[in-house]
Amino acid sequence: MKKIITLLSLVLMMGCYQDDDLVTLYPDQEVPQSLQIKELIGIKLENTIVTDRVAMNVKLPLDGKYRIKIRHGMNNELISQEMIEAGEGDNLLKVYVASLEKSGYLIQLTDEFHNILGNQSFVVN
Amino acid sequence: MKKILLFLISVMFTLSTFGQSEINYSPVYTVTKVGDTLTMKFQYNKGDGGDLTLAQFDFEYNNKLLSYISHESQAPTGASFARNSWTGYKFVPKSNSDEDDMDVQYTWWKDEAGSNSYETGADWGVERITVQTSAAYTNGNEFVKYQFKIKDKFNSGYDNYNNIIKVNWANYQQADGTQIQTTKSPSTQSLSGIEGGNAGSFTINLKTANTNYTDYSYTIKNGAGESVATGDFDESGQATVSGLENNVTYTAEANLAEDATYLDQVVTVSDLALVFAEAIGAGSGPSGGSTTFDYFVQDIMADVVGDNDGVDFQDSYEILAYLQGVTSGNTNLITQDGQTEDYSGIESTYGAVANDVVTFAKSFTPIDSDTSSKTIDLAHGLRGDVNFSHSWEPTVSSGEKTVVASSSSFRISSAAGAKYSQTETANIDLISEINGDGQVVFSINSEIEDMVGSQFNIVYDPNILSLENVIFDTGNEMTNFSNVIEDGYVRVGSFDQNVSTTIKEGTPYKLIFTPLENIQNTSGLISFRVKEGVKADGTQINFIIE
Repeated sequence: MKKIITLLSLVLMMGCYQDDDLVTLYPDQEVPQSLQIKELIGIKLENTIVTDRVAMNVKLPLDGKYRIKIRHGMNNELISQEMIEAGEGDNLLKVYVASLEKSGYLIQLTDEFHNILGNQSFVVN
Repeated sequence: MKKILLFLISVMFTLSTFGQSEINYSPVYTVTKVGDTLTMKFQYNKGDGGDLTLAQFDFEYNNKLLSYISHESQAPTGASFARNSWTGYKFVPKSNSDEDDMDVQYTWWKDEAGSNSYETGADWGVERITVQTSAAYTNGNEFVKYQFKIKDKFNSGYDNYNNIIKVNWANYQQADGTQIQTTKSPSTQSLSGIEGGNAGSFTINLKTANTNYTDYSYTIKNGAGESVATGDFDESGQATVSGLENNVTYTAEANLAEDATYLDQVVTVSDLALVFAEAIGAGSGPSGGSTTFDYFVQDIMADVVGDNDGVDFQDSYEILAYLQGVTSGNTNLITQDGQTEDYSGIESTYGAVANDVVTFAKSFTPIDSDTSSKTIDLAHGLRGDVNFSHSWEPTVSSGEKTVVASSSSFRISSAAGAKYSQTETANIDLISEINGDGQVVFSINSEIEDMVGSQFNIVYDPNILSLENVIFDTGNEMTNFSNVIEDGYVRVGSFDQNVSTTIKEGTPYKLIFTPLENIQNTSGLISFRVKEGVKADGTQINFIIE
């Protein structure tokens, strides 16, 4: 009985941990080589050709609010934008492309006031 | 006196020696088009020549333009008749001599030219007729009739039907073997005004505001309404058609594919605003009256109920119901996902008014001699697209309205002569983020004043996000709508039916999503397609997101 209670407690703790993980970013996580950014600031996708989702590293100079923008690769029109609050250094995030049309895009990192900090092109295939 | 007699004798001798006959050749019936049968008669004209008992002549015809069918001797009973033919040869006339002098050319062929009298000529066929009688040939009698089929000159290497038959030489003799001097008439036989035939390469230029040209197809029909050519437009909006015939009248129409992915973006709040304003102004129609429209064709495009009774509130509410996702009970004609209602016609007359009727003339006739007739500009429009966002805006003057409604506030502030299609741009901020409750919040932030309507078509990933709520903060009198078009696609907006109250500034729209899986950010999960507004004066606002 004691073992069962322990197991249930563990499961409950893991569930709580996952909820918190939804909104918490951990700067300076171990960064895979494919996502490493040499510069102090920047944005990098794990792959350029993407089908469903792709890992992304956003390397920031300071803690704060930043925008991640997706622009159309032909006319530069902004088609998606999110605001993140993240910490200094590497932040491992994701880009979800399943609902984007197959096309070429540009992903952009800006500060809260739209100053561009980095960008990379990618293709939804 | 002796000299005078000598001179007269000399003249008489000369006339006697140089008496001349003729060979005539001409069509028996008028031919007018490709495929007609050309009947040629070859005829004896005695003139002042001697009595003819042997006639032999040689002519050539262009076998790229004429196809031999048959021949029929016209020689009198008891006469001998022979026909010979050779394909692929062409007569080489005697140089420095009259080509119409048939006996000279005959002599050239018979005695002088040797093997140089004919050269190979793939485009030509040589026919030779010989008629011999015991009695003198009667003046005006025919030797032979030929029948040829007129071929299409398309790809023949010839631009016209000039000089397609030519008599090369003629040997007219009297019974004692005396050569009769002979000429021919005409020098060559030509045909003019031949219609029909392959029109060759025919070009259709698609005219529409929608640049997704490859989603359009064309259909060309003949006078019986039968389809004779179909196909798609290329990336430049052109289609090249073959197989049409000259001097035949066809009709052309263009159609937009019903599976095009953007049909739900054609009719928007801007169209709604125009139709509402027109319904308020009322009295529109080809006969004129009070109107806010600039073109008569808008009366057609705005009649989305299809009652052909002008534009009224039934139409405006139908569009509003469509944007709201409400089923009205009408079978509407609004261009929408999976449905198009096409209008097309020759661009120069597209939307013209004739006898109080808006017209979409589709007829054209390729004419071989008129290069411009081998190309048409085909304009296309869609029902419900009153602001021509995906349709061609007419250019024909008779299609323009001149009366502006005074009873509507709509466009009152517009400059004189200004068109509804004027647009302006304004900045807004559309942004998604994860809030403290783990929900994804998509905010539309606007600081735009005097906006009476707005619309946002928002796409999201339904496998990762579930739309929980749409929060409106547009003001108390706005009609708001949020219509889930399909899983992962929602249309959000507002419109003031009185065209007077404006959308509140700030964050008029907020969409709340619940993540269906563990996510740390929202990049790419929410994107936006249609994003436009309309001001009280009818100006369309194209939003710019920095």
